[in-house]
Amino acid sequence: MDGAIFPLRAGAETRQIRFMTAGSVDDGKSTLIGRLLLDSGVLMRDQADSIGDDAEDLAALTDGLEAERAQGITIDVAYRYFETPHASFIIADAPGHEQYTRNMVTAASASDVAVIVIDASRVEGGVLKRQTRRHAAIAALMGLDVIVAVNKMDLVDWSRERFEDIETAFADLAGTLKLSGVTCVPVSARRGDNVVRRGGAEWWDGPTLVELIEQSQGPATRHDAPLRLPIQAVLRDVTSRFYVGRVEAGSIRPGESVVLGPHAYPATVASVRVGGRAVSRAEAGTSVAIEFDDERDVTRGDVVAAPGVRYVRSVVADLCWLDETPWSRSRRYVLRQGTLETQVLIEEINFVHDVEDFSRRAGASSLSLNDIASVRLVTRDPILADVFSESPGTGAIALFDPQTNQTCAAGMIREAT
Amino acid sequence: MRLAYKSDDDAPVSAERAPVSARASARLERLESESVYILRELAGFERPALLFSGGKDSAVLLHLALKAFAPQRAPFKLLHIDTGHNFPEVLAFRDARAKQSGLQLIVRDVEDSIRRGSVRLGPDGSRNAAQAVTLLEAQQEFEFDALIGGARRDEERARAKERVFSHRDAFGAWRPRAQRPELWGLFNRHIGAGEHMRVFPLSNWTEADVWAYIIQEQIELPSLYYAHERDVVRRDGFLFPVTTLTPAADDRAIERVVVRFRTVGDITCTCPVESDAGNAEQVLAETLIATVSERGATRMDDRANSAAMERRKVEGYF
Repeated sequence: MDGAIFPLRAGAETRQIRFMTAGSVDDGKSTLIGRLLLDSGVLMRDQADSIGDDAEDLAALTDGLEAERAQGITIDVAYRYFETPHASFIIADAPGHEQYTRNMVTAASASDVAVIVIDASRVEGGVLKRQTRRHAAIAALMGLDVIVAVNKMDLVDWSRERFEDIETAFADLAGTLKLSGVTCVPVSARRGDNVVRRGGAEWWDGPTLVELIEQSQGPATRHDAPLRLPIQAVLRDVTSRFYVGRVEAGSIRPGESVVLGPHAYPATVASVRVGGRAVSRAEAGTSVAIEFDDERDVTRGDVVAAPGVRYVRSVVADLCWLDETPWSRSRRYVLRQGTLETQVLIEEINFVHDVEDFSRRAGASSLSLNDIASVRLVTRDPILADVFSESPGTGAIALFDPQTNQTCAAGMIREAT
Repeated sequence: MRLAYKSDDDAPVSAERAPVSARASARLERLESESVYILRELAGFERPALLFSGGKDSAVLLHLALKAFAPQRAPFKLLHIDTGHNFPEVLAFRDARAKQSGLQLIVRDVEDSIRRGSVRLGPDGSRNAAQAVTLLEAQQEFEFDALIGGARRDEERARAKERVFSHRDAFGAWRPRAQRPELWGLFNRHIGAGEHMRVFPLSNWTEADVWAYIIQEQIELPSLYYAHERDVVRRDGFLFPVTTLTPAADDRAIERVVVRFRTVGDITCTCPVESDAGNAEQVLAETLIATVSERGATRMDDRANSAAMERRKVEGYF
């Protein structure tokens, strides 16, 4: 086995990037992850030993549970960690077999960017596999940028023509799906070319896969977006009340005028604390504790928002059904948005997305595991009229089944009128 | 100068070369914010307990919990399942730190479970796996609805598939194939009667992140995490500490070595590594160039077979 490319895994000021991987074992996805871990030097000696005598079998590194090894498949999302001198990475590795959509949706929700692995030797005449089209469609639905690792380039003698055919085919696909920010890179995971270190094609002077991931920005966190701070809890001491939560969109600063809850009660932020220290500004992603100028009746589920926020009781959302038990029209579900939980009814299924041919099937009357559908939801309490593409932190919803307590759907709000 | 981790096939790497300065802030901020968010999601639970052993991950966890709920007292009890095989320095630290935090510490002993007959030890005498039984007994005794642990996904393969909010049925069992999908930060906190939730706020931290945070926040740890002289016996590539519980079979094999512990657990299955890292900065420097994983270097119990942790977790281990 080759040695690590980065024996010293440290950087002065490193970012953390979370990405998911999609593709099947046939495409070499597991081999690619093994290669990333090995060449970045994160793979420890005892862990490398456990892959057995076959040093080529990088894929074995990503095996997880005993039950999975027994069945020879991966059944759940596994998280892996590695670092380069420039960033640290969390891989959400979604398996490519049954329950694929469910796993990919779960992994995508924990990721900033998606890496789709395809097998260059099996793409003839620029026709992408159905599975690849499905991966791209889900990435588009979940709002992720896509990096395409065109793998097994060594098997096609690093054919520039083959790579460019695939690049063109993916550009077409991206156009259809309105996917922005798609980049392709030719790699050989087995040989390690263009994964962490360069190699293979002399004609390729673009970045390696790791460099591409390092450069990815993640879903646009717009700090100028309107403030959304869902409240998790209210903390008290003798003299003051602190309202705590994580800023999901925009930013918050002392002195700012905000509105509280659906009735839009005006309030002024008196102080903002992060980790016990007063700060002059906190941005999306930061857990804060704030005080108001005056005592306020705010509890978990309420949202501190910029003036102009809208609430509705009916939205159109893309819903991915994740439960073994299909949707039942007669059942009420619990919807979670931010920290709010309220009852919800699926009033109407507009259409079901076919994530392989991108058609829309109207007239559906059921939703079962792995279905993705556009639906109209009606909630008991008003919810934020936030669209996922503009405010991912509050445009995302989850549905729970109150009888089984299962998590049964992931949703992205598309229209809130 | 000493070498961090010697091995036959690796070129020696100097620990002094590893950059350890303010690595981090952006990423530690993201991790801290996420952990604080997760801990505050526990606000709605009626009887949550934070598993506090005095080890470094639980020390970081407690630090974050106090931060998340300041200026109020964190709404958690501290729970330690004592195998009876703990290092005295760690227990002393546990008690002192718990007292300082103002949170009530509950200790339940594996010894009592043995006396009750609910635990029967295997031939190796290790009490690590037995902790699961005592833990579930304590969960039922106090009707804890959430147990917060410092486990990290980077530690081990079964833990790599663990949820942040991980549901346990009335038997306390983890069912990896029936895990709830976890979407964005929209945690599903719902549990049925008699069930409980295991919550892992440090899921996305690595060993190096933990050490970088210990430096940044100046978090105090038991002394055996830092270099000290200790009597050990070398066997199977491990350094076995010589204690009253684990006497050397042959006194002539005993060596006095400068060591530190990377993890602290049951004395009978936790081994130190050779190191002269005397403070957190030096430990981080070594962590960044380590070639053997944290548990692989130090834990006999995971070596038994590659699914050892998974089996223990299914039975209720955390």
